[in-house]
Amino acid sequence: MQIELQRVAPTYIEPEKISNSHIWNEVLVFQPGEKIQVVAPSGSGKTSFIHFLYGMRKDYSGTVSYNNQDIKTFNAETFAVYRQQHISIVFQDLRLFAEQTVLQNLEIKRQLNPFHSESKIEAMARQLGIESKLNKPCKTCSYGEQQRIAIIRALQQPFEYLLLDEPLSHLDQVNREKVMDLIAEEVSLRQAAVILADLKPTDYFKADKTINL
Amino acid sequence: MSLTFKHIAPFLTTGKNKASRWLSYFGLGIGVLLLLSSIQMYININGLLKNKNPKKDGYDYIPVTKNISNENMAQSHAFTEAELLELQKQPFIDDAAAFLSNKFVMKANGGATLPFSSDIFVESIDEKFLDTLPPSFTWKEGDQVIPIIIAADYLELYNTVFAPSRDLPQFSEKSLTSLLIGIDCEGFNGTERFRGNVVAMSDRINTVIVPKSFLTWANNHYTHAGNPEMNKILLKTRDANNPALLSFLQEKDYHINKDKTKFGRVKQVLQAIVSGLAGFGVLVILLAMLLFSFYLQLMIARSKENLQLLLTIGYSPQWLSKTVSKKWIPVYVIIILCATLATAILHWSFQHLVMNNRDELSPFIHWIVIAVALLLLILSIVVNYRLVRKLLYKL
Repeated sequence: MQIELQRVAPTYIEPEKISNSHIWNEVLVFQPGEKIQVVAPSGSGKTSFIHFLYGMRKDYSGTVSYNNQDIKTFNAETFAVYRQQHISIVFQDLRLFAEQTVLQNLEIKRQLNPFHSESKIEAMARQLGIESKLNKPCKTCSYGEQQRIAIIRALQQPFEYLLLDEPLSHLDQVNREKVMDLIAEEVSLRQAAVILADLKPTDYFKADKTINL
Repeated sequence: MSLTFKHIAPFLTTGKNKASRWLSYFGLGIGVLLLLSSIQMYININGLLKNKNPKKDGYDYIPVTKNISNENMAQSHAFTEAELLELQKQPFIDDAAAFLSNKFVMKANGGATLPFSSDIFVESIDEKFLDTLPPSFTWKEGDQVIPIIIAADYLELYNTVFAPSRDLPQFSEKSLTSLLIGIDCEGFNGTERFRGNVVAMSDRINTVIVPKSFLTWANNHYTHAGNPEMNKILLKTRDANNPALLSFLQEKDYHINKDKTKFGRVKQVLQAIVSGLAGFGVLVILLAMLLFSFYLQLMIARSKENLQLLLTIGYSPQWLSKTVSKKWIPVYVIIILCATLATAILHWSFQHLVMNNRDELSPFIHWIVIAVALLLLILSIVVNYRLVRKLLYKL
């Protein structure tokens, strides 16, 4: 699957920010297997960019296409198919089910379109040091733990693109390394592309291309 | 692994508002029971109050006259051609024809065989309305013998009342047909004598019938006035107890023999009551479904964040709609099944204990009741699904 941006620009952003950007109002094509780092300061539209790619928002001009199909024409069912099979995401605000347990949060994603078995969840949780939290409600976990949960959740499905929006903001160096190792392993398994948006180039992420927003 | 409701159940707030949920179940059950019972009772009423007179050809024949009251006694009570046509056009009347009667004086006597004489009246009607038509029932000008068809009741009256009171012999049907009676017709030309021969008995028409050809000739010959007015019309209908027929006749102020339609009024009232109950049942069902829809809306509103997140992480709105609405299918099935069973039990009790196993009623509920129950089930499921789908797509 190919993702293409044809002169995409948020409708709410100032024109000078658009003219100085290497993403807004440009033609960009992403292919599976690529590792893209998007760097921008706070408030410049990183999350908007990720949301546009995921199809969550439509407040932009230009065209975002999946395989040459404008995603603004997609209905909810079409997006569901892509989100089950082709695109996975780690939100900046995580968007976990706070009242449910960690395991329930991971299972609700895994069972939608399983890429791994149930036992793999435990293995990943152990790898990232949160296996003791599996049966605890998400709301009782720290922000850093919740970030790791959100990352494990994103890795439970098949995908060709993994979108990451400041995924490591609350992790220490040790956990950052562990998380990036796990992501690299899973991405390699799927021959998938990674688009990582952050404030600065991310440690332990060997990007093929770094684009300033 | 295929996903089911139990996988997403922890993410939905379904436990709250149990009271309104159970109230809606109860309402639905009562409403369905009312509706199905009313339909079955409507069918029972039709079966019990169907006209019992043996219908040779599947029709009822009802003589109709105009109502004569103290107020309109002095007026003419004849039917006009337009009124006859109007009767013929009604959907519940298959045919109608006017009786023709004698407008001159006729006297009958027994001659040497029977020492009696009496003024008589005779009538004619289109032959297609007669239940019996022997080949001998014809007359042409010059014939001296007039064939007669009399009501079977008249022979019974003669044998049981008239004959004993006058010391006259009683007759069997066969012996009567071999008897010739004298018939005198008086007109402005004097009296002419004919002979009358009873050729058949009628179970359908309660009068003395002669061939139309005779009466038409005689009315003209003895009075020069032509045929008289139409004072009586015979109706042919499939159901004498048809409420529409009775309403029409009442509206027109036409008089009919109540014995033929005695169950009609009762049927009308009972059907009206039962229809009212059915209407009430439908209302209760609608209210129950409205209450349940409120419960669903509340549930989805309370679970809005989680449902939105499920959609965001890739759950299909169509799958969610189907899965969420499927949860209540077993409930609908149980409620409607119970209501149908209750209807069947009520009907069986009615047929067995109240009606003493009358043949007109089957011990089992009518297929229409089962069809309506199935229809209600399908409607409930479809309405429920569409509501959930609409709410989810709004998210």
